[in-house]
Parts: sequence; C-alpha cells; structure tokens
Amino acid sequence: MSLAIIDAREWQTVLDLRTGRKRADDSPAVRLAKRVLARHPFPGDTDARGNRWVTDTALDLVGEYDPQFVFLIYAQQFYLFRFSCPPAAERAAMIDAAFAEAERFANETGFCTVVVGTGDMIPTAGYIDLSGLDGLAVTSHWLTRYCGLYGLSGKDGDELRRLTASGLVARVAGKDELLSLFADVPAAAERLPDFLAVAREGYCFRSTLLRRPLMVPAGNEVIPVSAPLAGIKSITEISGQVRKLLADRKVALILLEGVGVKDFRLPHEPCANGRGWYSYEPGEAQYLTISTGSHQIFSYPPGYRSYREDGENKEYPFSGYFTSLPSGTLGQGFAGRSIAVGNRSMFMHTVPGADIAVECFARNLYNQGCMAVIHRQDK
Amino acid sequence: MKCNYCERRCELGDGNYGVCRMYREEGGAVRERFPRRWSTYAVSRIESLPFYHAYPGSRSMTIGTAGCNLECRYCANAFVAREDPAAVQDAMYDFTPAQLVRMAAKLGCHNIVFTVNEPTVSLPSLLELGAESRKAGMPLGCLTNAYATEEATDLLAEVFSFVNVSLKGLSRAFCRQYLGIPNAGPVLRNIKRLAATTHVEVTTPVIQSVNDGDIDPIAEFLADVGQGIPWHVFRLLPEYRMKYAAYPHIAAIDAALEKHRRTLPYIYFHNFVGSEWVNTLCPHCGATVIERFSLGCGGDRLDRYHCRGDACPECGYRIAIHGQRVAWNAKEGTE
Repeated sequence: MSLAIIDAREWQTVLDLRTGRKRADDSPAVRLAKRVLARHPFPGDTDARGNRWVTDTALDLVGEYDPQFVFLIYAQQFYLFRFSCPPAAERAAMIDAAFAEAERFANETGFCTVVVGTGDMIPTAGYIDLSGLDGLAVTSHWLTRYCGLYGLSGKDGDELRRLTASGLVARVAGKDELLSLFADVPAAAERLPDFLAVAREGYCFRSTLLRRPLMVPAGNEVIPVSAPLAGIKSITEISGQVRKLLADRKVALILLEGVGVKDFRLPHEPCANGRGWYSYEPGEAQYLTISTGSHQIFSYPPGYRSYREDGENKEYPFSGYFTSLPSGTLGQGFAGRSIAVGNRSMFMHTVPGADIAVECFARNLYNQGCMAVIHRQDK
Repeated sequence: MKCNYCERRCELGDGNYGVCRMYREEGGAVRERFPRRWSTYAVSRIESLPFYHAYPGSRSMTIGTAGCNLECRYCANAFVAREDPAAVQDAMYDFTPAQLVRMAAKLGCHNIVFTVNEPTVSLPSLLELGAESRKAGMPLGCLTNAYATEEATDLLAEVFSFVNVSLKGLSRAFCRQYLGIPNAGPVLRNIKRLAATTHVEVTTPVIQSVNDGDIDPIAEFLADVGQGIPWHVFRLLPEYRMKYAAYPHIAAIDAALEKHRRTLPYIYFHNFVGSEWVNTLCPHCGATVIERFSLGCGGDRLDRYHCRGDACPECGYRIAIHGQRVAWNAKEGTE
C-alpha cells in the first residue's frame, strides 16, 4: 500500500494514496517524510526559490534515506517562461540557475548524473481557437500543440482544412494514423480522440485554462541528454543507460523542464523525442517514456477527455488524472533504495516509481503545500 | 447616469465605466461593454466550486467573464478579475447563449456555474443565458460577492437557482482595507434576499489576525438566516497583493468554528489539501451522510453519497440538498 503524507504548512495528514482515506501510521518512513516536509515548505511554482527547494529537499532526503537512485525534476523556469515570457537575458539567467542547482546536488552528494532537457520553449506565435466547431475540441492537461477532436461535422472538416491550408494547423491525424505510427506500442485506443490536430510550431490550441501561455514548447524533435556513456539516440534509451550505470554507482536522473538543445549548458547528445511527426511535450507521456524506456503515448493520450474518468470513487484522488500507478518505471524495477523530488505536481510519485517521492502540491500555480508518497518501506 | 447593478452605483458616461469597467452609458441606459464575451468554459466537479449541497456529484461547466466590483487584496483570479477588461478581450471566447448551453451539453455537463469573477458585472449577458438554459432544462448557478443593488440581486435570483455568496468579513475596517468597500451591509441584506428564493451556500475566506474575529458574528448571522445554510470556511490561500502573507493556522480556525457546529450543522472548513472537515453529518443522528475529498484549490470531490434521496440512511432526517444527486457521467453522450 502506498501512503501519501500531505503537508499543508503547519498541518500534516497521512492518507492511503489509492483510496484517499486517512491512515493512522507512525512508521519510521512516515516520520522521516513528515520531518523532511516540515523542514521544506514549498515556495511556489514561479517563486525564485522553487528550484532551490528541489535541491534542498533532495539533499535532506538523501541524508535521511541514503538512496542509490535519485530522480529530480527542476521546473521553476518552465512555469516562469510559460506565463511571463521573460526577456532573453533573464531566461538565460534562469536556465543557468537551474543548471547550478543540478550541479549543487551532484557536488554535494557525489552522485553520477544523467541530465535531460525536456525541450526548448519559444514565444507563442498565436492561438488557435477551435471552440466554434460543431464537434468537440479538447486540449488535455498542459499540452499546447495537440488537440483531440471528437464528433466532427462536415463543416468542421472544412474549417480544419482551412486552418491546415493557412499553415496554423500542421496536421490532422486520424486515430488509425496515430496507432500505426506507434504500432509496436500496446495501445489503449478507447482514450484516443477521433482525430488529433497538431499546431504549427509556436502556435497553441486554446484550452480551458484561464491563463494563456506566453511561451510554448518548440517542436523539439530532439532533446539533449548529458550522460557518462555515449550513444543515446532516442528518448527510449535513457532508462537503459541509467540502469547500466546503477549497476556500480549511485545515479541521479535529472530532468530540466523547458530547456532544450539550444540552451543546454552541458556537453550533450541530441536524442529523438518521439517518433516520426510526433514529438513529446513536457508531461507524463514524455517522463514515462524516459522512465520506462518505451513509448507511453497511449496511457493518457493528448487530447483525451480525462474529465470523463474524474467522477465519484475514482482511485488515486490526489494523483490528478492518473487512474493507476504506472508500471515498468525505473524505480519500480530497481532493487536498491530510490527517491524522487521535483516541483512538478503529480509526476514525482507516479513517473519515477521511487520508494519515496516528494513533490509540491500545486495546481494551476496555486500553492497548497507539499506531498510525500511512500511506495516502499521494506528496503 | 448612475449604474444600478452594483451597490457602488458608479457614475457612468464621459469615459467612465464604473469600478468594474464593464458597463457604459448609452442613450440614457446602462449597457454592457463586452456582451457575450466569456473567459473560459471548463469542466469541473460541482463540489470543487464549491457547492456541497446542490446536485451532488454533478459535472458543471464553469464560465466567467472579466472584471469585478470589489478590490480584494487576496484575489485568486486577479489575472482576470482585476485586469482592465478591455485589455483581456483578445483572450475571450465569443459564444451566444445557445452556443454556451450547447457546449455544456457537448461536455456532458449537468449544469453551468459562473465562477471566475463577479456575475453582477455581466448581468445582461447572464439574463440571456438564463433564458436559454431554462429552455434547455440546464440549471445555472454562480459564485457572487453579493455586493449588488436590491434590483440586481433580484435579477441574480431570477437567473441562478443556486448561489454561493462570499461573505468575506463584517468589520468596517476589514471591508475598507481588504475589499475596497465601506461595509458589508448590502451583502448581508442580499444573502437574506437570495435565501428567500434560491439555494444559498456561503463562503468565508479566513485570514488569521485579520478577519478571524468575524467568525462568531458571521455564524450568528447565518444561523439567523437559516440553520440549514451550508457555510464554507476557507483557509485563505494568499494570492495577489497578499501572496507572501502567512498561511492561516488550521487548528486555530477549526477550534474557533467548533462551538458553532451545533447551531450550524453544515459548516465545512477547507480550501487546503487533505482537509478533514468536508463531510456532511446528519444534524439529527450524527451519521456521516456524504463523504468528500478536499484537494484545496485543485477542487474538492464527492467520494461517497450515503443519503437515500436527500434523507439520512440511518434516521431518515432530510438533509438540505438542492436538486438530486447526479451521477458524473449521467449527461455524457446525451447531446
């Protein structure tokens, strides 16, 4: 059973992660998590101390738990870029600071690091509004480049052809096209939209989020990877590299959000960030692909209607749209101790599969506090 | 001429659009500056808005416009409500009332709830929407600060069948300093007025050392309006001009609420993740009749609904519920 320890500042509670029900648990692991959470209140997604919080919390957890594998996400710059589009010099300074935090963690722990940038961001060139279709257009989660389309009429087809001819929409792919692109990947087709619209690079489908993104992920056909062993050609090869390294050393897999090949500060190799015309945006599909070593586009596909599964009795009520814990993750298959820390909500306790995960509990930039999840306490 | 929608009664004309900046004078009448312009249409659980006693479990489509008639220092939606409405029009959606109702149906929503900003600043558009949603049999609700004139309050009651009023504080000093209004008198008047004809829930965001002294008099006022009124006491999530304020202390606020739970059986203390004060207990026998999860601003959710209809399964006491429980996917595919 996985336990969730919530820290809403000066107030903590322990829950069963799957059912959401309160648990009375005072095990050493729970006490450890409570101590760490209490010492590190989350400053906020866009706060200048957001990335420092990741390093400080991770260092504390390393000291308390002595893991061999650490999974970190630094996302502060991603949120700031997305909603404020700072001038280039400020953006460069923020990226420098993110790398400095990753380096601080490595220097203070001596861990071998594999650092991955999840992709460059560019200023939003324009917004595509599909709310006037007869059918339904759905942009899921925080994705901007992909839009699921359902129940299109003939008139809608004309409108999409017009948008494609004008260059705003790069492609409208049918369900079968997406399935055949990832033909080797086990598919849960029922979540796929009838069609998937892909925006031209820099353009963004309007979503129901109130805040409009001022910067969006670039096309990012490739993303940068800095690792001790060379030869990573695809996003699916990162986890294999990490597993090899874990055989004889302590390893930290570090993801830097909103940083791509253009701004990567370490020697790196570019690796394919998807397949064919489909490239990942930062989100659970990209992280899960990194963590599991296989493409994960179908678990929660772009443009799917997550709200349909959001009703009463949904399991994992504190895990956002996740309806189960992913399998095949790096931490899950690792016999040694592992932790995950990051300022990206939900993903830290789902994607890495680490024994103990600490994440901010923020939604749409509203800072509620932190959550730790203990998946394993038998190591 | 003076605007007659909000209690401020701003002078319009000559480039004056009122505090909300949403109305103008034209030919001796008050007109909307940006009619039928909407800031969002999003799917939400009704518990997360929050409505705990209206259509439990239902799927709502939340909407909003722009602008507000108050100047709350802690506004959570300042990027829409406190911006100059003219400056955010390029981010708005154009929907006729019929299109908006159809969108809600396409999204499988049971009802539409105006949540983002203050409905009083867009009443003409909402009157149109009200007529359309009535035709479609789709209930309409809203969150409001209720700082409206009596005439406008009657219009709100005409449009919306369920309303959550934000009663933010009572003291004059608080109203002046934190809300930008002279006093809460009109809000209290309008809560009584709305409660006479409409389902009303009330929300109070508590800021420690600022308005926590108002907990007792607010509880007494609400008990006087009706003991069945649900009261959501929010732990303030500091935002906007109070972004760096301390988070209120949960145990202290809970202790202040405890003595009122006898006279107001539907007190909920939430707006923070993991809250333990979000279930409904039967006022007669104390059985837990509705269980919920609190995800803070991430949205609360129904966990288990134990009532039989609106009655306690243990003793049969009628719980104050507006409408019926609605299964989450009840309207899916009916469009």
